[in-house]
Amino acid sequence: MLSSKSSRFAINSCRNSSRRVLTRKYFSTTHEECDVVIVGGGPAGLALASALGSKHSLRESLKVALVEAGDLSKVQNWVPADGTYSNRVVSLTNASQAFLNDIGSWSHIEMDRTAPIEEMQVWDGISDARIEFSAAEMSLSNPGQGMARLTEVLNLQRALLRHLELMPHVEVIDKTKVMGISPESVDGGWPLVQLENGRVLRSRLLVGADGLNSPVRSFAKIPTYGWAYDTHAIVATMFHSAKNPYHGPNTTAFQRFLPTGPIAFLPLSSTASSLVWSTKPDLAAALKNVEPSVLARMINAAFRLPEVSMRYLHDRIREAHQAGTPITDAEIKSEIQWREQSHSIGSNSAYSSAPFDMSEELLGIPPDGSELLPSLVTSIQPGTVASFPLRYNHTETYIGEGEGSRTVLVGDAAHTIHPLAGQGLNLGLGDVECLARVIQSAVLRGGDIGSYTSLLPYSRERYLENHKIMSACDKLHKLYSMSFGPVVSARSVGLEVLNEFDSIKAAFMMTAGSSPRVQRENGSLGGDLRSTAFNVAAKGVEGLTATAGVVQAMRGGLAGLAVNGLHSLLTAISSSQVKK
Amino acid sequence: MFPTALIRSSTVNAAEIAHFSRLSALWWDEHGEFSFLHKMNPVRMQFIREKLLEVAYDEQPENAVDPTKAGILHGLDVLDVGCGGGLLSESLTRLGARTTGIDASESNIAIARHHASLDPRLSQSLSYKHTPAESLLAEPKRYDVVCSMEVLEHVDNPALFLSTCAELLKPSGHLFLSTISRTPLAYLLTIFLAEKVLGKVADGTHTYSKYIKPSELIEFFTKYRSPSQDSRPWITRLYGGVPTRTEAEVRGLIFNPLQMGWMLAPKGAWGATECNYIFWTRKPALENVLNSMAQR
Ligand SMILES: Cc1cc2nc3c(=O)[nH]c(=O)nc-3n(C[C@H](O)[C@H](O)[C@H](O)COP(=O)(O)OP(=O)(O)OC[C@H]3O[C@@H](n4cnc5c(N)ncnc54)[C@H](O)[C@@H]3O)c2cc1C
Repeated sequence: MLSSKSSRFAINSCRNSSRRVLTRKYFSTTHEECDVVIVGGGPAGLALASALGSKHSLRESLKVALVEAGDLSKVQNWVPADGTYSNRVVSLTNASQAFLNDIGSWSHIEMDRTAPIEEMQVWDGISDARIEFSAAEMSLSNPGQGMARLTEVLNLQRALLRHLELMPHVEVIDKTKVMGISPESVDGGWPLVQLENGRVLRSRLLVGADGLNSPVRSFAKIPTYGWAYDTHAIVATMFHSAKNPYHGPNTTAFQRFLPTGPIAFLPLSSTASSLVWSTKPDLAAALKNVEPSVLARMINAAFRLPEVSMRYLHDRIREAHQAGTPITDAEIKSEIQWREQSHSIGSNSAYSSAPFDMSEELLGIPPDGSELLPSLVTSIQPGTVASFPLRYNHTETYIGEGEGSRTVLVGDAAHTIHPLAGQGLNLGLGDVECLARVIQSAVLRGGDIGSYTSLLPYSRERYLENHKIMSACDKLHKLYSMSFGPVVSARSVGLEVLNEFDSIKAAFMMTAGSSPRVQRENGSLGGDLRSTAFNVAAKGVEGLTATAGVVQAMRGGLAGLAVNGLHSLLTAISSSQVKK
Repeated sequence: MFPTALIRSSTVNAAEIAHFSRLSALWWDEHGEFSFLHKMNPVRMQFIREKLLEVAYDEQPENAVDPTKAGILHGLDVLDVGCGGGLLSESLTRLGARTTGIDASESNIAIARHHASLDPRLSQSLSYKHTPAESLLAEPKRYDVVCSMEVLEHVDNPALFLSTCAELLKPSGHLFLSTISRTPLAYLLTIFLAEKVLGKVADGTHTYSKYIKPSELIEFFTKYRSPSQDSRPWITRLYGGVPTRTEAEVRGLIFNPLQMGWMLAPKGAWGATECNYIFWTRKPALENVLNSMAQR
């Protein structure tokens, strides 16, 4: 259906300028004139197309085309089997939801397939120091909506495509790769975008929403800096029994920071949740290769067993994988049982995985502390186990200059981060909201939306904002992924300190963009509020390291670790990362 | 890259194209010599937009123009006097105007034409002419809006220039001017700093004695009557030296060095018009002519 839409609108949407050739001085090839060409039909690109298409004031002034290499009709016609979930899930902050609602896309989301996060349990795998966030503590206008909402990426993309289908003035060209981009040879010329099907789009503004390896970014010669974390994220859809009625619905997100990386349990329905397990690449490869029941047992263990045992289990799995004989269900079961015994975890403890092998569900009063842990995973949805390498990447700028003029980057094309705070796409949607607003304001003043002057407010507003959140996530990853003793004990003290300070915690929650954005139209107020909160939160992370240092120094445990000791340690570690 | 064969097949001399492209690169290089104009342009457009919407609302609140619409100049004839490379002319055209840009410099006009030819949305309703404003008086065409930005401080006879602009307007037409006030601050910023110290603007661009204060513009239009109309003066009342907002308005354009950008000062902001400012006034409507004739 989409492809028929594409061909239907191919002719009228972008004005075909071949008949204008006589009036135009320098060109005689057939190309089509477009005001905005968006490369990439991922969530960021589709959201930008919807945002621009939904603004009445822009309809007459802008011809918008989106080009995507993949088959979007598959996304638009996606009908998942009942009770199954796609493995690519994102937590959309309230700010992101509010934006999608404003442009009219949110109503196309299948809400039954989404789940609110009302509470978060985050703890350190070594010290067990824990922080808790809940939507109830946040002065939200509607706490029932949670602090964020878990949504399958396909559900979001499908909603955006359904919305776009109501906008015949936006042309979606799918199953078509961008083969090349070149600047016109005249001074001040516009980018010419060559499509696989031979069409050439001459674009006033070229938007790169084309992901991590952005061809638009290469065309505009925008440098990007970053590094691969020595980490892959395993994703999967997990099934489990419904939460005990004493604990209420499945609306808590759990995340445990192990030295190998954080493991997250994200609620989708009462009996299904999504896994994002960041771990070492060789472990990820081994875990992807085991029987589904082995993975389920390992997930349960990863939330429950002390870190020393996890290290042992990891080694076992790694060795078996290297020997070419993946560990069996019986082997891992007995390993875990033995570990539980050695830590005196009784079969009725919340930390026991024994119920996994019971045929009947446990009823009655749940064991102490079970609200601190996710439900026991009973099975993995077939075909959902996958893994992604994780990177930190931030371009030097978002706006192309010189020969790359008239280009701008949004979403993963501009930045990628560690998923530990679930921020990647939220940053991308923040970009899109801002860019659409900046484009509108330029159009209302008769500006050329491809000009640097028109685009500058976009990078002014987004670059630093993104950078702050990105570096805090990066620091968190580094802080937690160390098992070096002094750092760990400093870390746990710091976390408990953090737990005490409601204000810092509130700021921390705000960084997740959970509070609905204030006064989006006038932008600045909301932006300021958010960034102020962020500064507090960023200081929270710095403060955490500093406080830990003080405590350590006072205990005399480690003479060398002064106030800034941990911080400089971190700095040393980050600067030793290999820069691309 | 474009095959050179394509360029050769065009009717325009390739050497000329190269020449104008080079100059055009100067006018339209947003980081170069004219960067301050690029940054100022959206703010001037903001003022034009807000003022015209305000007037439209005052006149017909019930079916005023949709303020979220881009094409608020649709159907209007607009003249840009001293259009330079065409920064303002292009923006006016994008808001729907049928725009005529004129400039005394032939190369500016060629540059403006070259740049506009790159933009398919401009070709229909934007035209440029190499002519002084005075010559247009001989033609019958009159305009709904006349703009002249950063020109007044360069002309030799401001009174003659202002009356020419005034006469090119249709009755009820709008006049927008932006210029620099003659104050010690203006001297410091626009001549001493910009030209002599920082060299941001070519030395000799500005002459202090030619700067005009907002009060002088206001005074001019409290006396000025359109000869062809024999009407009331354009500004009839002043309150403490300030005209009513339906007859004229002065707003400061303030450069914020931290953001390296311009902003439109709020209405009546103290001291905001000490340097760069934008001025609007309006030619009396025809009925005012009839009224003033009836009164006699
Ligand atoms: C494990 C994991 C968990 C995550 N969890 C979260 C979370 O909880 N919350 C969150 O906000 N984010 C999360 N993210 C990040 C989020 O998934 C990404 O930020 C988001 O998908 C990026 O969207 P995008 O549209 O910018 O880019 P992409 O989704 O990468 O889209 C780019 C598109 O461009 C197309 N394209 C590329 N080249 C061409 C070409 N030459 N021609 C035509 N088309 C082209 C591609 O086909 C693709 O469709 C997570 C990421 C991972 C890996």
